[in-house]
Amino acid sequence: MPLYLIAALPFLGALLPGLMIRAGRNACAWATASATIAALVGLLVHAPAVMRGEVIRTQLNWLPQIGLNADFMLDGLGMLFALMILGIGLLIILYARFYLSRKDPMGQFYTYLLLFQGAMVGIVLSDNILLLLIFWELTSLSSFLLIGYWKHLPEGRQGARMALTVTGSGGLAMIAGMLILGNIVGSYDLSDILQSRDVIQASPYYLPALALILIGAFTKSAQFPFHFWLPHAMAAPTPVSAYLHSATMVKAGLFLMARMWPVLAGTPEWFYLVTTFGLITMVLGAVIALFKDDLKALLAFSTVSHLGLITMLLGFGTPMAAVAAVFHIINHATFKAALFMTAGIVDHETHTRDIKRLGGLRTLMPVTFLIAVVAGLSMAGIPLFNGFLSKEMMLEEASHTYWAGSPWVVPVVATLGAVFSVAYSFRYIVHTFLGPKRDDYPSKPHDPGAGMWLAPAFLTVLVVIIGVAPFVVEPLVKVVAGAVIGDAGELPDFHLKLWHGVTPALFMSVIAVAGGAIALALHRPLNRGWLAMPRPEAKPAFDLAVLKSAQAARWVTDGLHDGSLTRYAWIGGAAVMAAGAAAWFGGDAGEATRTALPATPVAVTGWALLMIATGSIIAFHRNRLLALVLMGVIGLVVSISFAYLSAPDLALTQISVEVVTIILMLLALNFLPNRTPVESTIGRRVRDGLVAAVGGVAIAGLTYAILMRDFAATSIAGYFLENSYKGGGGTNVVNVILVDFRGFDTFGEITVLGIAALVIFALTESVLDGRGGRWLANWVPDQRRAGDRHPLMMVVATRVMMPIALMVGVYIFLRGHNEPGGGFVAGLVVAIALVMQYMASGYAWATARRRYPYHVIIALGIIVAAITGAGAWLAGKPFLTSAFGYFRIPPLEEFELATAMGFDLGVFLAVVGAVMLALESLSRLARRSGAAVNPHPMDINPERDLETASNIPPEEAR
Amino acid sequence: MHWITLPIILPAMLGAVTVLALRHHLLLQRVFSTAGTVAVLAITLGLLWQANSGEITVYRLGNWDAPFGIVLVLDRLSALMLTLTAVLALGVQLYAIGSGWDGRGWHFHALFQFQLMGIYGAFLTGDAFNLFVFFEILLIASYGMMIHGGGRRRIRAGVQYVVYNLLGSTLFLFALGTIYAVTGTLNMADLAERVAQLPAEDTSLLRVGAALMLLVFAIKGAVLPLHFWLPETYAKAPAPVAALFAIMTKVGAYAILRVYTLVFGPEVEITADIAGTWLMPAALVTLAAGMIGILGADRLGRMAAFASIGSMGTLMIAIAPFTPEATAAALYYMIHSVLGSALLFLVVDLVRERRGADEDLVTRARPIAHLGLISALFFAAAITMAGMPPLSGFIGKILVMDAVRGEAAWPWIWAVILVTSLIAIVGFGRAGTTVFWKTDDTPREDELDTARTIEAPIGLPATVCFGFLGAIALVTVLSGPLTAYLQGTADQLYAPELYITAVDPQPAVVYDPASGTGKGGDH
Amino acid sequence: MELLIASAVGFLAAAGIYLVMRQRTFPVIIGVSLLSYSVNVFLFASGRLVINQPPLLSDSATGYTDPLPQALVLTAIVISFGMTAVVVMMALGAFLSSKNDHIDMTPEDGRDSPPEPKSRPDAPALHEREAEEGPEEGADPTAPGAVPSPEGAR
Repeated sequence: MPLYLIAALPFLGALLPGLMIRAGRNACAWATASATIAALVGLLVHAPAVMRGEVIRTQLNWLPQIGLNADFMLDGLGMLFALMILGIGLLIILYARFYLSRKDPMGQFYTYLLLFQGAMVGIVLSDNILLLLIFWELTSLSSFLLIGYWKHLPEGRQGARMALTVTGSGGLAMIAGMLILGNIVGSYDLSDILQSRDVIQASPYYLPALALILIGAFTKSAQFPFHFWLPHAMAAPTPVSAYLHSATMVKAGLFLMARMWPVLAGTPEWFYLVTTFGLITMVLGAVIALFKDDLKALLAFSTVSHLGLITMLLGFGTPMAAVAAVFHIINHATFKAALFMTAGIVDHETHTRDIKRLGGLRTLMPVTFLIAVVAGLSMAGIPLFNGFLSKEMMLEEASHTYWAGSPWVVPVVATLGAVFSVAYSFRYIVHTFLGPKRDDYPSKPHDPGAGMWLAPAFLTVLVVIIGVAPFVVEPLVKVVAGAVIGDAGELPDFHLKLWHGVTPALFMSVIAVAGGAIALALHRPLNRGWLAMPRPEAKPAFDLAVLKSAQAARWVTDGLHDGSLTRYAWIGGAAVMAAGAAAWFGGDAGEATRTALPATPVAVTGWALLMIATGSIIAFHRNRLLALVLMGVIGLVVSISFAYLSAPDLALTQISVEVVTIILMLLALNFLPNRTPVESTIGRRVRDGLVAAVGGVAIAGLTYAILMRDFAATSIAGYFLENSYKGGGGTNVVNVILVDFRGFDTFGEITVLGIAALVIFALTESVLDGRGGRWLANWVPDQRRAGDRHPLMMVVATRVMMPIALMVGVYIFLRGHNEPGGGFVAGLVVAIALVMQYMASGYAWATARRRYPYHVIIALGIIVAAITGAGAWLAGKPFLTSAFGYFRIPPLEEFELATAMGFDLGVFLAVVGAVMLALESLSRLARRSGAAVNPHPMDINPERDLETASNIPPEEAR
Repeated sequence: MHWITLPIILPAMLGAVTVLALRHHLLLQRVFSTAGTVAVLAITLGLLWQANSGEITVYRLGNWDAPFGIVLVLDRLSALMLTLTAVLALGVQLYAIGSGWDGRGWHFHALFQFQLMGIYGAFLTGDAFNLFVFFEILLIASYGMMIHGGGRRRIRAGVQYVVYNLLGSTLFLFALGTIYAVTGTLNMADLAERVAQLPAEDTSLLRVGAALMLLVFAIKGAVLPLHFWLPETYAKAPAPVAALFAIMTKVGAYAILRVYTLVFGPEVEITADIAGTWLMPAALVTLAAGMIGILGADRLGRMAAFASIGSMGTLMIAIAPFTPEATAAALYYMIHSVLGSALLFLVVDLVRERRGADEDLVTRARPIAHLGLISALFFAAAITMAGMPPLSGFIGKILVMDAVRGEAAWPWIWAVILVTSLIAIVGFGRAGTTVFWKTDDTPREDELDTARTIEAPIGLPATVCFGFLGAIALVTVLSGPLTAYLQGTADQLYAPELYITAVDPQPAVVYDPASGTGKGGDH
Repeated sequence: MELLIASAVGFLAAAGIYLVMRQRTFPVIIGVSLLSYSVNVFLFASGRLVINQPPLLSDSATGYTDPLPQALVLTAIVISFGMTAVVVMMALGAFLSSKNDHIDMTPEDGRDSPPEPKSRPDAPALHEREAEEGPEEGADPTAPGAVPSPEGAR
């Protein structure tokens, strides 16, 4: 079976439990197991070849550009770990089937479990370190889900978050480390990297890479100072603890160190970093374990201790130490998983894991007791059990390791660790199972069904077999150790046997056992001392750190984004000015090339008027009505100056836009408070004034610089002047540009107008439907209203003006192509004429006489414009290609028709529709506010009043 | 040959027709609008295929030659952006229909189509001022979309959004005016030619123009310190709209890529430093601010908004070196970011719709309906945006980190990227565990009947979410071939002469009125 | 002349910038409008200043000014008109629905837990309930006669 399939099977299998759970818990478990079994079989198929020392590879390109490929490799080391992951995984699946209660969502559990399993298998089979990183992070994520499985428990959630944070951050560090490593070697393929020991160790980036990778490994394997997350992960269901936190995930770090051993090990940096932290972890874990009353916590810390032990062995950097490490990995997996399961059984049966409430279970749970004893003694390192053998080898290696020149440090500290590990192992057995039977167990204890004890029993059998006849696993150990050592050294010729003769290690073991027994005997006083001793608690510190950083983040975020637009504007403005200045002074500006036009009196007058108006706006902007008037003045001056500076079209447009804008704002102001209160402090105003002044000066300078220099290269404008008539058929070049040369801009422009109207309409609707409408309904205007809202004179005047205005509009429209004007201005003129009707005779009256809804007019405008443009397609020309011709219908004089006019018609319609829809929306607000409706054109109408005074609608009367 | 115009014309017509005839028939609006979106998607796929050949298609509107008329230009980049937009649009629209969002106010579908018209136009146009026009179209449509459904807080946030962007538009006009005043042209290809041969004493003016332009695009792309419009807007906007806005920030990124490779390219030394030196620091700060915001936000919506800011930061980090490799990475990350942010916003909406008064607050609340499904989606979206394996976020992150190795400050860039992703992980972890795990069934005094969980449509919305998830997975699995295509795209970007000659075949003739020989349309 | 224009553009812009930084929507809108005047003139000026040479082709003309910026400004004016209309209405809408025309959003009307009474847990958030009736219900408000009578409105 191809390796990627082995890695993929658990992931594919992860889809099953969710479905199969509908068919019952057994079916679910079987489905899960089948996936694992399949993978296991696939793996065992390769076993013979691997045992022959071959390395199996499969390659699959994924992202070759950066060398991320789905390449897998199976050698002794990978084999061992894959076996542990899948084999123990199988046992866990069996165990969990009976451990989980009915109300636990089993499908979820098995899904997460398989995800995790796949990730682990992926790690140990990856032949590409980027791929390895992916699986690495996946284990963090899936273990997050598994630890948080009991989501109702706060411990579960916190433990999950802590594990994710710690291992996740380690993973991130490792990403950096691996990328650096890959850059040193020039390849992310593990095989290539394992070949380049010298390159790596010579590189200046060796130390950073090593450090970063070790952070990743240490966090995963709960090495000091990252060990604190593991015990809190014990909030997970026991199967998870047994699987992740004893057999597999925590071993991932060890695996990585073993995997990288050939290229990273053997340097002083490696020795001191790995050995030291391993040693510390080993002792610390063992000591803490002795004083934990929670069975799982005890086992958790013992795991920490054993991981430290293995780490230390890898740190030694000698081949024999590597052998010992490999052997202990195997042994630890067997006895520790078994112990976790017994702890789970005890918890499951007695409903407590507190040693203080246990004891005397020997007779009540004989099977569990037997399993616990065997596994426990193995953990303690008692002969005839596998733990003893690897611990002997460890002590042997430790006994001749120099640390900073001293031969004593390592052996002594190692023995100390051994003492405590014996102590807690004994304690696990003695305080739980031995002693007098009690009658206050939370629940009546008895051995569980076979389903639950089969798995640990099987493991303990292995414990004994290996312990008695170590040679059976010798080939495996040899192959694995060979894989670990790789090209870095010679695989020493060794034999695993029970009796090594009288060696220092033996003495150390004896000391350990004796010391351990004494320590247990003195447990009570020791415990008292321990409790009295101040101990740094990791969890509160961690929680505090996370909380603080969250608060800091909150503070930064809310402080930065405090919802104050004025501040945003200020910052943005400053940024713009800084950038502009930097850009300006980064280049050089030549001196003026144009001669300034004379400032005529007219111009100066206009200028003065503008400046005064602008100044007064700043001064009197709080009086909103006045501000609007002043704005009108400014607009007027601007449009006049356009006219003065040979831009008649602009002048026309500006003035008509001005009128409409002011009307709109006046209507809006009708609802808004008509004064702006004084709010900003003097200081603020000064700051804003400063910003404004700088900005103004900058812009003025920029404008002046532009005005006084000619184009660097000739403008394309000449072309328009030349081709406007030839190619566009119009003498008003601006208009031809708008409807022809750059008609697409205009198309977009009218779309914008149309959209604006739609937005306004939709907005009005939602305001009216919402609280805004409710509020308007009983809104009382703050100013007095004129009694005669639709004065006779005005009505008559507008009525008379209407046709004239329309004619003017048509005229402006038609002449647009050749003289100032065009669809846009025409549209505005007509719109204004219509608005006049509304203002004079009132909303309802005018609406009642409106034939087409403005929506339609807008839409038609856009459609007409688009269709005119698309018409060119028929002639095989691109969109918006214009055609024109001159026609003569006697007796009229010759006149011109251009397709551009159709386009201009679209503009006209869109403008009329948009403006009207916008203003109408406003008046709908007014209606809601209870402004009376008039069925008649004017309020005062003699003849109507003569007829009868009775049939006046009620709202007229008020 | 007219296909290239359809992504603009079709939505415009569709929007107009919707307003004209269908404005009272939601069902018809849905049918027609969706049909239109699908059609445009098909067209964009065709254009993608066409651009894949490497040839650059130029469409001369009004049959006027560049630089005098406006041209639409289709190269690999614009084709890519079009397709990405079309895909996003379809998903978002289906979600809006499925969740009933489109019925909560007027003219959703019309505005939606106009919005798309603006975005497509911005990606296609080859004319600087026309780019401004399309910016305005997509902006004004987005104003309407953003306040769709009303509500006082949404409208007030909308006012801020509008005002900020009005200032941006003003800035854009200043930039255009300055650039025209120096070069005397608006067509980008022509600009490129003229900038390349600009006399030394005009550089100050041009540099100001280039700088202002960059700031305009930075506003669109939510780069610090010009990102302030984004958080409230995205957090308050209706979810489908926020999801659609995922592409709007990318319009800014696109414009930067286009203008600062074509016109003010890295080899133009008079302006090289502007985008070259300023963008990277800003991008790093943006990333930091975004990811910190994820941890600091008290609402899922706001969190999603900051997540998209963060992804813009990473994107800009990849753009800033202005090398083909980095740009390829940037393009990959852009695709990832669009899909990821969209998914996140939609998932947040799934939660919000079911939490009643608690809305999307990150707080203990009663368990919502469809908890398992939604939490799974959130988990996926979160690991995507946090850049965790196995989804596209991780691939993108690796690509970007690999691409910036050439930078002098690479250790710092890597540090920022990695540390911020840790912050994001913690932030998402806290929020997710609180919202989905830390539920309580105890009745609350401020609620009348606690028994009922709030039901909201799940079928189509969830399908859409899984659709986006599927797309993300696809982008991850096919990252190899995809990156190959993107590499080609990037290479095309850094060979601007291809673009220039395509738009304007004659060698740079700066028009000379005396000789009277202009490049005219065939009239 | 150039000096006059330049100073006018600068002063308009300065006034605009100052007003944009005020705290109520109305002055901000005025400020935005002033800025758009400023930028329109600026854009127009990018074609340089010419007197009495409008771009209207005729045999009598001595010369023509640069027509392109005029076209651009025309477009810009129209667009900014649309934008102004929208922002005015949005400001109005914001004021009507929150009785508050501050442009800045403080936490209580911004992110934090909504002050609005969201009584029923089984109903969507208020602003979503407000808009639940879509176009398909309620007749066309713009159609003649369909307009709600003032009595109905009250």
